[in-house]
Amino acid sequence: MAEKAKSQPAYLTDIQTMVHGEDVSMEGITYKVNAPKDIDPADIFFVQVNQDDCQACGECESYCPTGAIQEVTEDGEHAVIDPVACVNCGQCLANCPFGAIHEEVSFVGELLEKLKDPETIVVSMPAPAVRYALGECFGGSTGTYSGGKMHAALRRLGFDHIWDTEFAADVTIMEEGTELIERVKHGKKPLPQFTSCCPGWVKFAETFYPDLNEHLSTCRSPIGMLGSLAKTYGSQETGVLSKKIYTVSIMPCIAKKFEGLRPELQSSGFKDIDATINTRELAWLIKEAGIDFNALPDEEADPALGMSTGAGTIFGTSGGVMEAALRLAYEELSGEKLADPDIKMVRANNGLKTADIPVPNFGTVKVAVVSGLEQAAELCEQVREGKSPYHFIEVMTCPGGCVNGGGQPLEPGILEASLFKSTIAKINRRFTKRKIA
Amino acid sequence: MKKKSIGTISRRGFIKLAGITCGYAVLGLNVAKEATAATLEFIGIRQASVYNADKNIYKLRKSQDNPMIKKLYSPKDGFLKEGPCSHKSETLLHTHFADRSARLAALKEKGVELSL
Repeated sequence: MAEKAKSQPAYLTDIQTMVHGEDVSMEGITYKVNAPKDIDPADIFFVQVNQDDCQACGECESYCPTGAIQEVTEDGEHAVIDPVACVNCGQCLANCPFGAIHEEVSFVGELLEKLKDPETIVVSMPAPAVRYALGECFGGSTGTYSGGKMHAALRRLGFDHIWDTEFAADVTIMEEGTELIERVKHGKKPLPQFTSCCPGWVKFAETFYPDLNEHLSTCRSPIGMLGSLAKTYGSQETGVLSKKIYTVSIMPCIAKKFEGLRPELQSSGFKDIDATINTRELAWLIKEAGIDFNALPDEEADPALGMSTGAGTIFGTSGGVMEAALRLAYEELSGEKLADPDIKMVRANNGLKTADIPVPNFGTVKVAVVSGLEQAAELCEQVREGKSPYHFIEVMTCPGGCVNGGGQPLEPGILEASLFKSTIAKINRRFTKRKIA
Repeated sequence: MKKKSIGTISRRGFIKLAGITCGYAVLGLNVAKEATAATLEFIGIRQASVYNADKNIYKLRKSQDNPMIKKLYSPKDGFLKEGPCSHKSETLLHTHFADRSARLAALKEKGVELSL
């Protein structure tokens, strides 16, 4: 297939070029325009507190799973103390009542240049959870499914191929499910097997429980898989040279920015993931481009690397990866069809859920699903002591899973509380200034 | 270094705290309570929407039934024709993990306390 010469999409002409280091406010959060290159992501901060805006309330600390965000001044102002301790989940940022926490990395400036460049073939790779929150930025009610409109918006923005991380979630199930069956049947690697999709959890495990690395599924996350597939399989399917492809990971997450910069993810011969943005940044782009989101038709992704199933979409919620994997493992282990794909006993709202899944011709598959790293740590301790009874453990960092990720639109409740608290903060600040100055 | 008790709270810190406390007292704690309840609720609503889409919007519900997955892994001419966890998929789709504990130990050595 011939590479198409593309004209610059009309929607983008009005958006100004961004300057490196510039602050841009997107959906209530401040972002620094900064697309790091050739850097170890372990050396940089992805979120940080703006000291001038911090009111020392300590709310961020209560959401931090590791204690990386803590008091740094006598007045009780907080900061992320060191990148090594931070898993980049962004729960502090999403729950700061004063909007005092910002993102230090935003590829939006570079992405705009690539979208405008006719020589670059830009491909989209949106995560499942994005489509359950994006609509909220355009007046939709909480959780509205907007997958079709999201695909349409990405096309209008000038993405050349609308590929979808949900497709890669299906690939992940094939790989991770097969790996699990191998571990259960042949035992070359230890049980339990932990999921490895969540970048906050993976960095946490590497930092606090490196002795359990053998327990982590060797599978990359869906976006890690789609990045390399885009530049190999995708290149083959479309006839576009790999070096011209610019892969854009679109995530409900901040930690995925860390993952996208992992130096080991270059098996396509190039950087597998060129840019990572989150749901808020995508919403900002759509608004800046003047696209009437609600008037868009529902469109499908481009099938080869974009078609997906319900098993792919449930990756965005706590218990979803487990349920999707069981829909495969059940059939592989039993040799029978799974009549009802609903496996409600692994659906978890918050915290820990365990289940015994009866599988014909095999026995019982014991699983645990956890969101929130404090409780994940308890499961890790169990494994460390050799007392873990489970075959498979799913871990997500954010309570409830990716739908509640740190890159998602802020929830209206927080915005209301934030309005209330920031009003107090303003009164407070004036009072403080008058008294002290 | 950063030890702090009520007794040593700074003037500015005290004013901040007092301001927030007064604010709550005047405008009512209910707003904050409602916000917390709303947070738990809104996560649940997004999750419910995911399961609704899985059941009612997606035509296929198992990864192995996706025609594009079948095409990718087709034993005849698929890009990953040797199947999941083959050598090619190990190269492209699998990874290895680092041990990041040394830097953590160095941080703790400096006297930094974490919650874990």
